[in-house]
Amino acid sequence: MTSSIDHLGTGFFDAHQRRTVAAAMARMIPTDDTPGAREAGTVDFVDRYLAGLGAIYAKPDGSGFETLEGKQAWAWQQRIDSLRGTYAAGIATLDRYSRDTYGADFADLQDSDQDAALQALESGADPGAADIAQAQVIRHGGPIEPALQQTSTETELDFVPLLAMHTRQGFYADPIYGGNRDRVGWDVIGFPGPASLADVHTGRYSVLDYFADDRRHPGQQDHPDG
Amino acid sequence: MGKAKPDRVDVCIIGAGASGAATAKVLTERGLRVVALEKGPWRERETFGGDELANVNRYNLWPDPLLNPRTLRQSADQQATENLFCPVPQMVGGGTVHWQGWLPRFTEDDFRMRSVVGELPGTTLADWPITYHELEPYYDQVEWAFGVSGQAGANTFEGPRSRGYPCPPMPMSRYAQKFHEGCGKLGWNSFPTPQAALSRPYNGRPATVVSAFAQQHGDPTGTRSSALNVFVPDAVATGRYDLRPHCYVREISVDERGRARGAVYEDADGDAVEQEADVVILACGAVETARLLLLSTSERHPNGLANGSDLVGRNVTFHEYSAAVGLFDDPVYAWAGGGYVSASTFQHYGHDPNRGHASGGHIAGAGVGIPLPINWSLPRKPLWGSQAKQLDREYFNHSMAVAMVLHDMPQHDNRIDLDDTVTDAWGLPVARITLQPHDNDLKQGRYLIDRAADILEGAGAHKVDKVYADKVTGNCSHQHGTARMGNDPETSVLNRWCRAHEVDNLFVVDGAPFPTATGANPTLTIMANAWRVAEHVASGRAT
Repeated sequence: MTSSIDHLGTGFFDAHQRRTVAAAMARMIPTDDTPGAREAGTVDFVDRYLAGLGAIYAKPDGSGFETLEGKQAWAWQQRIDSLRGTYAAGIATLDRYSRDTYGADFADLQDSDQDAALQALESGADPGAADIAQAQVIRHGGPIEPALQQTSTETELDFVPLLAMHTRQGFYADPIYGGNRDRVGWDVIGFPGPASLADVHTGRYSVLDYFADDRRHPGQQDHPDG
Repeated sequence: MGKAKPDRVDVCIIGAGASGAATAKVLTERGLRVVALEKGPWRERETFGGDELANVNRYNLWPDPLLNPRTLRQSADQQATENLFCPVPQMVGGGTVHWQGWLPRFTEDDFRMRSVVGELPGTTLADWPITYHELEPYYDQVEWAFGVSGQAGANTFEGPRSRGYPCPPMPMSRYAQKFHEGCGKLGWNSFPTPQAALSRPYNGRPATVVSAFAQQHGDPTGTRSSALNVFVPDAVATGRYDLRPHCYVREISVDERGRARGAVYEDADGDAVEQEADVVILACGAVETARLLLLSTSERHPNGLANGSDLVGRNVTFHEYSAAVGLFDDPVYAWAGGGYVSASTFQHYGHDPNRGHASGGHIAGAGVGIPLPINWSLPRKPLWGSQAKQLDREYFNHSMAVAMVLHDMPQHDNRIDLDDTVTDAWGLPVARITLQPHDNDLKQGRYLIDRAADILEGAGAHKVDKVYADKVTGNCSHQHGTARMGNDPETSVLNRWCRAHEVDNLFVVDGAPFPTATGANPTLTIMANAWRVAEHVASGRAT
């Protein structure tokens, strides 16, 4: 299946940042009796995303990535620059808090201390930060606007909610983006996803088998044309 | 620079989405020469894919808010802030590129809601200047040209129809089955949701592929019914449809008498071009149509084109989508088919004075993800951690939404105007939305969500989460009312033919003419009304 991407020299993070983000993502979607963010390689996903404009849009047939130009490229460069800033500052803050509180870098803490550090940063010095984070997540498809509309943007998010969002993306998005390695994210929730983007693109991918056993609606009449 | 001015044509249509493409089909088939100016690209089906990250999170189909911002405030004394409010894909095909196309007809009462409800303080509720019966032949035309799958007569609240649907209902999903079961338990009518998809081959087109990537995804197979797949090819086939993508109209130009002369646009090369036409038709969507009218100031129209009444942009309505989410023991696979091959009820659609609020809305079953759990959440669901993961696992195959389309009330102060500080990537002031829900919107929303929960409980859900809409967020992509049609120029922008009262060769065919939002998905009616207006324009020119 999809191999993980070799990030040496190709990603955005330095080794320490990468280790820190991987550790934090592993708390976002933990490994339990099923694989988590670590096995899905969500850090590969975000490292590749932040590396530049080369992995923004997969080609819809899965044959590679689109090249961005013009205004679109300008917009994406703004966005990536902003996200890089959020990550760099967020990682530094997480380490500073971890050292002050537990005497070690975040990545070296035990799971429960990592959770506590992330929660502390999430609620943050800004007393409104937790509310904003929650509002963002709801706005991003929570039941207040259930799943149907994207009215918030990644660049508006604070570090921890951004990390949570990118972990979800890296866990469940198509493996072509570098996460969801061997489709483990889909396996965890039981999604019979397409074998590849090409499978959808060609129309081979059908999920009619997951419809009702009797596919006629109750009371459905025969169509006059048969 | 140095480009020759294009030849004057019969009609210039601004926009090539649902309404613009429907209009173009009718006009070109009636023999008129049409130029269409579309801000976005003309994408072939090969450019679409099953990729939630690109399509939903990364603006592959949505407008990029860094290039096309909008701003939002609750009242005129506030400073508006940037907000991707009520976005619709800006490309050939418009919203029909990424929709799953629920296409119920409006009811007879929808066209006379002011008479049915009476006065509702704080609102500008109005009857339409046309009736269901005047529009019915055009509903029929669109359903048969477009290819709609449904069951005539199954919605017992629907008005009379001249004939059935061209295709039988789409196959029944498990979530549609649950919806029928829940309504059945309650004694409520339910029906297969009429859909812009083909349940069988039709008009030389193959049956629609049932993928998990549908709602909010483009259609790489070209098998869904959309303006891009149907109306645009029909218009192109006439040889009289000159559709120009990447052409961003900056203003409607006027002649010395104040009539529309044409459209001034920036073409794909960044050059300014004026396209002249005998008739100009706006089809940009209610928000952008209002913005373009307001951008088009001149000596004859100092407050914007057709805006002597100061009504352009006002009475804007957006619906609101919210849902109750139910968890079942058995799998419902509410992602299958994209989550919107479903069933509906109009049991709580019509006005009932005993409910304590005006009007009602369409209720239907739906998926919770689109399709994956990337972009959904639940109230009080943690953002991350083992519990969040556990909920993803429990809900993905075993939950579904029962959702409402809120009929939000028109209000004079809810409006679109031009932002005084924020501009788009082309340097033009963006649309500023000023919006406050009416108390009736909140009451009606609570009522509809409670009924949605009743359906889930009736269907045997063992856990139900209700999500009330506490504001209007524009999450439907539906937009209407910014250039109302009516008989009185004092209270409307357009006449019954959707022609501007003040400019006799300027028409609007998107949702902007709608005096009221109704509680149903608007695009079928938008297309039917566009068809009606196009026939009128063509007939006027033929005589």
